Amino acid sequence: MNRLHDIEVYSPKTLEEALEILRREGDRVKVIAGGTDLIIQMKDGIMPRKNLLNIYSIDELRYIRMGNDSIRIGALTSFTDIASSALIRNYARILADAANTIGSIQIMNKASIGGNLVNASPAADSIPPLYVLDAVLVLRSVEGVREVPIQSFYRGYKKLDIRSDELLTEVRVRRMAEDEDGIFLKHGLRLGDAISVVNAALLVKWDGDDRFKDVKIALGAVAPTVVRARSCEEALTGKELNDSTIWDAASKVVNDISPIDDVRGTAEYRREMSVNLLYIGLWEIINKRNQAGW
Amino acid sequence: MRRRVVRFILNGEEVEVYVPPAFTLLEVLRDVLHLTGTKDGCSDGDCGACTVLLDGKAVHSCLTIMAQVEGREVTTVEGLAGDGEPDVVQKAYVETGAIQCGYCIPGFIMATKALLTANPSPSEDDILEALRGNLCRCTGYVKIVEAVKKAVEEAGR
Repeated sequence: MNRLHDIEVYSPKTLEEALEILRREGDRVKVIAGGTDLIIQMKDGIMPRKNLLNIYSIDELRYIRMGNDSIRIGALTSFTDIASSALIRNYARILADAANTIGSIQIMNKASIGGNLVNASPAADSIPPLYVLDAVLVLRSVEGVREVPIQSFYRGYKKLDIRSDELLTEVRVRRMAEDEDGIFLKHGLRLGDAISVVNAALLVKWDGDDRFKDVKIALGAVAPTVVRARSCEEALTGKELNDSTIWDAASKVVNDISPIDDVRGTAEYRREMSVNLLYIGLWEIINKRNQAGW
Repeated sequence: MRRRVVRFILNGEEVEVYVPPAFTLLEVLRDVLHLTGTKDGCSDGDCGACTVLLDGKAVHSCLTIMAQVEGREVTTVEGLAGDGEPDVVQKAYVETGAIQCGYCIPGFIMATKALLTANPSPSEDDILEALRGNLCRCTGYVKIVEAVKKAVEEAGR
């Protein structure tokens, strides 16, 4: 294991200073937020050793606010704060539920949403909910501001639409509407603290006939980036919802994913678990609505 | 080696160390400050043995670098028994027999401390939730949960 004794760390106190350092250093520095995955990657030598831009002390990037038509989350906001935020629990519950499963309390206290997004693990638990909630990422640099929809932010395995002088400063998610339900599902090898073998976020919009007017499904850890399950979504939209249509739709997910074998599971296992997770998740959404007296 | 002065509050007292800023808090606590109560288990954020409080919240000291500690408050297991008298949580673990080999216990104690500070009357589910990131390989979980309940009772008296 590498000791990090020769690494320089820049620790700006304000966003402005941080952007200035990024402009000057660009690719020569790696941004560290909570560091709960980055420090492991550096110690294990997975990541090239670079000097660090430590943004952990920039408290102006820690907030959860109601915007005009979206919820605005500062990039440094911890998963503990996201999971316990009344705003997020009320209007973007899928994200709160995902935040709660990210890892142990120790991880949740330190890891940030911005770090999770830029670290870009295909298994990152915050990404599927952000896909279905149409998240927009706010990237700042000395030059100005860019707003990038999350699905175009990820271009391939750990390939991101972010310049070396840009910092992710805010995540915007839309509020779930009254006629929408959603769920986050995670299959990990340990309940309290695990990297996902498969995860998924489902968001449905009901029509007046107890059918789905619109369905969005995103899965993680089954492709180089988080992916939408388009064939599955299509098979559900406007259809009568019974056990056979739901099973058929869930089974179609294998067309949307391209899992690999790794230490946490085989590709075959991931395909089977993806189908199962969607089947379980769809029924949970439907049963919850039935119980609510619809 | 690139060293820098890092100032922070450790167990209630201001300290200053001259260390590489990317050294982990765990390395500095154990190897520089010789506070060996905090244990090095997996060094990967999986086991919770290295848990300390950073501004009152449980974090892994193995996944925290010194630059992140600058100006903040750190509490280690040594900080609980300030005047030599064990903290109510420590007493409860000892009296319940929640300790076998003991290696994971400082981490469990700190996670428990964080829980009780935030929530003085936790349910069993709250306890399991708060301790879900701490592993005990002597399989002492039942006694550990009992110890937390005892600490809750004792603290409430």
